[in-house]
Amino acid sequence: MDRAGDDRRSREYETNPKATPSNTRADRTKFLFIGPAVVWILAFTLFPLLYALYTSLYSFRYGQRLGFVGLENFARLFTDSNLLSSLRITLTFVVGTVTVEMVLGVALALLLNREIRGSNVIRGVATLPLFATPVAVGYLAITLYYERNGPLNSLIRALGGENIPWLSDPSWALVAVILVDIWQWTPFVFLITLAGLQSLPSELYDAARVDGASATQNFRFLTFPLLTPLLWLILLLRMVESFRVFDIPVSLTLGGPGRATEVYSLYTYRTALRFFDHGYAAAQGILLLVIVMFIVTLIFTRVRGLYEER
Amino acid sequence: MRRAKHIYFPFLLLVAFFLAACGGSEQQTGQKSGVDEGAAAEAVKAGSYRAPKVAEPCGNDCPYEGDTVTVTVNTAGKEGPISGPLYEVREEFEAATGAKLEIVELPFAEHFPKLMNDLTSQTGQYDASIAGAWWLGDLVGGDFIVPYDKYYDDPSFPQWDDGEVLSGPRDLLSYGGEKYMIANDHDGQVMYYRRDLLEDPKHQKAFQEKYGYELRPPQTWDEFGDVAEYFNGKDINGDGQGDSGLTMHLKVGGQGMFHFMSFSAPYVIGPENPSLYWFDPENMDPLIDSPGHVRALKKLVELTEYGPDAMTAWSLGESWDHFLRGEAALTFTWGDLGALAQQQGSQVKGKIGAAPIPGTKKYYNIDTGEWVQTDQPNVVGNTTGGSWAGVISKFSDAPEATYYLLALMATKEKSTVYAARGWDGVDPGRSFHFLPPDGSGSMGNYNKAGWNERDAEEYTTAYFDSFNAEQQFPYLRVPATFEYWTALDISLSEAVTGQAEPEEVLKTTAEEFDSITERLGREEQLEIYRTSLNLD
Repeated sequence: MDRAGDDRRSREYETNPKATPSNTRADRTKFLFIGPAVVWILAFTLFPLLYALYTSLYSFRYGQRLGFVGLENFARLFTDSNLLSSLRITLTFVVGTVTVEMVLGVALALLLNREIRGSNVIRGVATLPLFATPVAVGYLAITLYYERNGPLNSLIRALGGENIPWLSDPSWALVAVILVDIWQWTPFVFLITLAGLQSLPSELYDAARVDGASATQNFRFLTFPLLTPLLWLILLLRMVESFRVFDIPVSLTLGGPGRATEVYSLYTYRTALRFFDHGYAAAQGILLLVIVMFIVTLIFTRVRGLYEER
Repeated sequence: MRRAKHIYFPFLLLVAFFLAACGGSEQQTGQKSGVDEGAAAEAVKAGSYRAPKVAEPCGNDCPYEGDTVTVTVNTAGKEGPISGPLYEVREEFEAATGAKLEIVELPFAEHFPKLMNDLTSQTGQYDASIAGAWWLGDLVGGDFIVPYDKYYDDPSFPQWDDGEVLSGPRDLLSYGGEKYMIANDHDGQVMYYRRDLLEDPKHQKAFQEKYGYELRPPQTWDEFGDVAEYFNGKDINGDGQGDSGLTMHLKVGGQGMFHFMSFSAPYVIGPENPSLYWFDPENMDPLIDSPGHVRALKKLVELTEYGPDAMTAWSLGESWDHFLRGEAALTFTWGDLGALAQQQGSQVKGKIGAAPIPGTKKYYNIDTGEWVQTDQPNVVGNTTGGSWAGVISKFSDAPEATYYLLALMATKEKSTVYAARGWDGVDPGRSFHFLPPDGSGSMGNYNKAGWNERDAEEYTTAYFDSFNAEQQFPYLRVPATFEYWTALDISLSEAVTGQAEPEEVLKTTAEEFDSITERLGREEQLEIYRTSLNLD
């Protein structure tokens, strides 16, 4: 309780009817604290976004702005078969990677959420792929997937199978890219889920044990419902990240064979930095933003609903 | 505890994955060449043959004291293709001029975009670039680089003679009648074959019986296909495993489109049609889907049957390594391979023959719309590739010092050594690179670089014949060349991996060419295209 401050503000209102709480020194101090965050958002979020919007309204030649073309770049988005192909490939990639990563990551977390010898070491090893640079992982995977004498095909042959055309067949190439992403990002799901599991209140499980609940019932009626908001959050983060995938397909396949692994970000990269068509690339970026925002909104709505239910 | 053991399985798998990754394989991932980004094929090591110093130290009277020359080059390191000679000459250049040399290595994929960003923003961060010849359409079209004509005859600069550059590669040095690129690397594709195999009486007899004609270096693509088919699956390096008839690099972004250019040229170019290959110079309509191009692509797809399946996902380095390990009988690629074959680690030194790219007995005359039958193979020389050479930025603060550096590297004394070494990525193209009677070069130079004499003779003769061929493949140098080529590259990959038929992919390519041309302005593109062909 700051009685002196209240009195001062009361006096200000009496002497100056236009004075409001926001004019006061205390409120100005608040703005000082908020200021850096606002500047940060304006400079690094809003400005690039607005600049991209501005850029998308122009045509370019030699990377230099030529003239205002209105919504022409956006119209191109809907007639560009290569863009639609890259969008389809990206959606396949997102569904493939996120589904497997969620299932595997949660399963691993459940397995390791118990006291076993060496669990700390195992958890540490399990998270290693997370810290590898995606580009390096992509190049490493070229060696692993090498079709003639690479380790994977050698193993498959040793087990009596036949060589898999990991990188030279269009369908397998997409599988190869998806597998590398799963290898790298499943530990992320595992790590967050494990943290969530370990923060669940033990009292609930003690009570369930007293009631004679089985492990399956524990999972179904306690663990899963309690983890659901967190799982939605992980799903959201992985989906957003997967939509922007770039490094792994670039280093592993360069989008090939043909356009079989040309994901959306790679197509936009080529448009902007290989062909210098910055206006069209900006329009592509905005379309991706809209798609991702739509998905994020859907998931947020669902998560908010869950919290409100609880 | 029994249940806990199951927990270890995922981790065993994870660790196995790591171990497998660390274990490596036979594959050599080193990418490439003077044509692309970088490190030489991994199967060979750099030698110790060094270029002589030709510039005297300036002492107290240094002409460019205080200047800094910043040059961009594809990332490849101090002993890598194209970048290696820059590091080698740095000390000599700085002592002779008083200027400082900054070498900026940029990955191949980022080199052109970063250079263009510097040029379009007019910041002048880079004084020069060791540029690819296909960049000239953008660089000259955008008025971003300066010609060096005014420095060329000035005796205060190191002297070199562009008249010594053979006619094919010499055309790439200038644009619209002005000189822009200072001679350095001279790319072009030739055919390489395993001479030891083709001269083996056992194979000669078997081949004759199967195909009804003698086994010899292929002169047409049909013969090339026969020889590749014959050797495919045979153990040609004595390791007990079946090897390949041929090898190519056909990965998207792995420069497969260059293969197609060299390959398809004799299906399209002929005496009556020396330059109609890319676009119609009257209206900029694409010609890439002509019946000649389609037939060439069908043949190329057919040839992939005689190489490893994996090569549709191979970059340059992987294909070269395959040949250098003695696992393929034929290939067609740049000069780097011939030189790399001579170096430590190569399995084919003394066994590698070379000849100009094979021809055809029939080509499609785009002008008349008819197929033309020929008695002799219709052979087309080429300068396909990067021909990486220095250009001077219009925004450079030190253009004279920059030209001095590039001219120093172009001197006969240095270029002689560069062209003979494999690791530096500089390929031959000047008269003193070639052996008598073709040129004034000496076998001693090639001996010092570790060459087998017969390999050197065939190699230099193949390049001399290709660069001096009456018909030359028309090099594309217009704005957005890379964009046109990327469209072609992706389409080719679709064809060789069976995603679409050759007619279909080339039709799609033509539509994409048209779309690019429309976007950039048909009239503007047409004008520059005609200038690049010296039609205006």
